[in-house]
Amino acid sequence: MNQAFAYIYDDFVSQRRYERDLARMETELATRGISGYVARLAMFRQSREIVSNLARGGVKNVVLVGNDATLAQAISFLPDLDVTVGYIPLGPPTVFANLLGIPVGIAAVETLAGRLVEVLDVGKCDQQYFFTEMVIPSTTAQLEVEGAYRVHPIENGAIAIRNTGIQVENGKVCANPKDGLLEAVIQTAPGEKKKKNFWAKKGLSETQIKFRNGRILSDKPIEVFLDGRPVRGQVFEISIVPKKLHMIMGRNRKI
Amino acid sequence: MPSTVMVHGSETNTVIAHGVKVEGDLSSQGGVVIEGEVVGTLQCAGLLTVGPEAKINANINAQEAVISGAVDGNMTVIKRLELKSTAKITGDITAEVISVDNGAIISGRMSIGNKVTASQKPQAMPKKEARSSGTTGFEV
Repeated sequence: MNQAFAYIYDDFVSQRRYERDLARMETELATRGISGYVARLAMFRQSREIVSNLARGGVKNVVLVGNDATLAQAISFLPDLDVTVGYIPLGPPTVFANLLGIPVGIAAVETLAGRLVEVLDVGKCDQQYFFTEMVIPSTTAQLEVEGAYRVHPIENGAIAIRNTGIQVENGKVCANPKDGLLEAVIQTAPGEKKKKNFWAKKGLSETQIKFRNGRILSDKPIEVFLDGRPVRGQVFEISIVPKKLHMIMGRNRKI
Repeated sequence: MPSTVMVHGSETNTVIAHGVKVEGDLSSQGGVVIEGEVVGTLQCAGLLTVGPEAKINANINAQEAVISGAVDGNMTVIKRLELKSTAKITGDITAEVISVDNGAIISGRMSIGNKVTASQKPQAMPKKEARSSGTTGFEV
């Protein structure tokens, strides 16, 4: 066993249909000399404690085995630990895996063994980190940008604060997690006039602003989603933390 | 409101779309496209493009500008200012070069042809009553 590696299994991988994949993965890890401690991801606080203890014990690589939800849950606290993060996606959804260039299933072990480490920015909302985006689905909440100005949808609109985009447009990811900036995207329904004018034809339907820190201000409690995790509140402090996350990525990475 | 800070958009434009309102001091190191509403001040180190549906109630300082919408405020443009036929400017204009399409409306003083420097900020907008009594305002 390689004491520098720890594997965090999501609960769902104990299902019978993942038995074979898991066994093959463990054999492959042992063959490559990178098998390590195994822990299971359950409650959020438990997970944090388990991983913190492993890191204190000398583990340098924490590998999440599961799906995007597994990674999203762990990413909320992993950047504070002195570890490199790996990911073996075994089941859907695997959008993050695609972004990181990590193949699904046993092929991910080869990516892990390759240990191509990139240092990425992460977003921070109050005390929680997010890797891809913070989303407010329908709101009139205001985004205060770097203390200088406030921007908000006049009627209802969706606000996304992106570190890196889940969406890939024309082969390019829509926000760069290495530029030290967050990108705010506000989507509003186009008005009747807009539908007819030439601006609409140019596809200018989204507000886009790049910034380093800001606040979301709402006059009533709202629910926001950090990498899909729901968080409730009225005021949210948001910022970019540059070069915070050491991540093992594949050669076909899109970021 | 705290002092102005820069928005970091070197190549990618800052876009304020229709249905979105900005209040405060918006400043960008790159190009800016405004299609929504802006109240406050607007500084743009690149090309400022104001769409026909846009409503701007702000003093503007830009490197270059193409205006198709309504601007209520003084404008200082270091290089070229282009006013499209749907433009409606209420305020004083300072620019090195100007081009005005048929139908554009300007209500205010114009100073064109002199070298404009980046430090030359637009003067605070006078009260509307005072401006209407001025002698150099004209419409095109």
